[in-house]
Amino acid sequence: MSTFGYWEPVLIFALLNVVATCGLYVTAMSGQISMATAALAGIAAYAAAVLTANFDWPLIPAALTATLGVAGLGAALGYLIADMRDFVLKLTTLAFGEAASTLAFNFHYIGGSNGFSGIPLYTDLPIVALAALVAIFVAWRYDRSSLGLASRAVREDPLAAASSGVSVRRVRVIGFATGAGLAAVAGSLSAHYVLVVVPGQLGFFYSLTFVIFLLAGGMYTLWGPVLAALVLTVLPELLRFASSYRLILFGLIIVLVVMLRPEGLISFRMRARASTGLASSYRRLLAAWARRDREG
Amino acid sequence: MEIFVQQILNGLVIGSTYAVVAIGFSLVFIVLRVVNFAHPDIFMLGMFGGLAGITHLGGSIPVALLSGAIAACLAGLVLERAVIRPLHGRDVLTTLLATLGVSIIIQNATALIVGPDPISYVGGLNQRWTAQAFGYLSHGQLFNLAVSLSLVAVASFYVRRTRYGRATRAIAERPDVAAAFGVNVVRVSQVTVALASAMAGVGAVSVSLLYGNAWAFIGAVFGLKAFVAMLVAGNRHFEGVVVVALGLGVLEALVAGYVSSGMRDAVAFLVLIGVLYLRPSGLFGSYAT
Repeated sequence: MSTFGYWEPVLIFALLNVVATCGLYVTAMSGQISMATAALAGIAAYAAAVLTANFDWPLIPAALTATLGVAGLGAALGYLIADMRDFVLKLTTLAFGEAASTLAFNFHYIGGSNGFSGIPLYTDLPIVALAALVAIFVAWRYDRSSLGLASRAVREDPLAAASSGVSVRRVRVIGFATGAGLAAVAGSLSAHYVLVVVPGQLGFFYSLTFVIFLLAGGMYTLWGPVLAALVLTVLPELLRFASSYRLILFGLIIVLVVMLRPEGLISFRMRARASTGLASSYRRLLAAWARRDREG
Repeated sequence: MEIFVQQILNGLVIGSTYAVVAIGFSLVFIVLRVVNFAHPDIFMLGMFGGLAGITHLGGSIPVALLSGAIAACLAGLVLERAVIRPLHGRDVLTTLLATLGVSIIIQNATALIVGPDPISYVGGLNQRWTAQAFGYLSHGQLFNLAVSLSLVAVASFYVRRTRYGRATRAIAERPDVAAAFGVNVVRVSQVTVALASAMAGVGAVSVSLLYGNAWAFIGAVFGLKAFVAMLVAGNRHFEGVVVVALGLGVLEALVAGYVSSGMRDAVAFLVLIGVLYLRPSGLFGSYAT
């Protein structure tokens, strides 16, 4: 069948999850833990699938169009939530996902409750591997750019960041749009591998998977979430021997990670370094400026 | 016109159950600062507690309600002790994730024991239950409405009129100041979780008597709506949560009746996005977090 046999689909899903997780990492950098990753990916999946199946587009243009469209949608959603408090923001993105899922359910052109099928098989391992590399590169560059620095400053303290000339809204909207774009890449590629898109996959539960990757890996480094996405996608497959206990074990793992390793399962040490890293230096600098200004 | 009145009443019946779950969510949130995603599953455990009461303990309705309350209450107390208390002081997302993990465990463990499909309550009850009481409502609907509204009244009495209720509001305002004034925060937290869970248990039994079945995955159906009701109302005013939950039930019933039953579920979330955009702390305001 293929080079990796049974493990090839697992590997493809793991890499697609890496792509979407990189997107969430970029979005979360400015303090927005989005609960709409799967919704944005799913919307892109529908869009790309319609283009290839109904209009005979090739994969790449279809995926790019879907990605740009969803990035635009992400920017709009980001604009809507840019001023919201952390907690409310999560819930708004959650509501967005659930609403999108229900709308897809009732939209007959894309198959309604049966989902959209008849999608051509275009995605294979090389394309997915390439996408994962590109996504990691984008997230890594974003991390290192001045935009990344501004994002972390916004995450640590929006007020301090704003007072030193960072446009909080701009940083958050760009972060949300970039993250949405990466999620869209993952979504449109997965549609051409699974060959069906169903409304349920836009829902909150699937978005939460990516939040789990992010938190399990620790949101302060890129490598943590990437590794977590790989490990936690493959792990349930390894747990297949305990098929009916699989989800129970999954729940148990989440609870244990949260209770025993609050900073993430994998990048425990890296977090310690991150707190002396750029973001906190920037924050100390801002604090020093604020003090100087006060003391005139 | 007749359909209109019918839909409004149907909406109130289902909305009253949303209200019971939403109040539980809200009480636990304001006292413990935890979004308890396992709350809907405690509701579900209460439902099965009621089912066990009917099948194993003789089957009268009061016994079912009581065993539902006890099952849910115990589950809530275990959850508080085992997961929520050790995570005290962590941010909202951490505890949300932990309780979500618990929710996944409870749902799937229950499905493993009783099977993943809805299980019907004793059939004999249903015939009498679906007969019309007053022109529009069946006995079952009337019963559910009455039980849910009594639960709301009990909770309201607790929060407004009792010593623990006053402590609850004090903690909601400022946990540290309340503690400094001698409020036993841990004890009040336990009582709050126990009350919220027991209420959910009773509400679950009454709604499952109405539908005639219990289901391991029922939590999500009521949980998300109740959650939306709490957010739209904001958690400061108890009565606001109740009004919004009832309103949401009515709105959904009207959409189901006049637009399409598929759009029903979208309504709640569209309302939520709109309200959170215009009033981030809810229609009636929220405690600062």
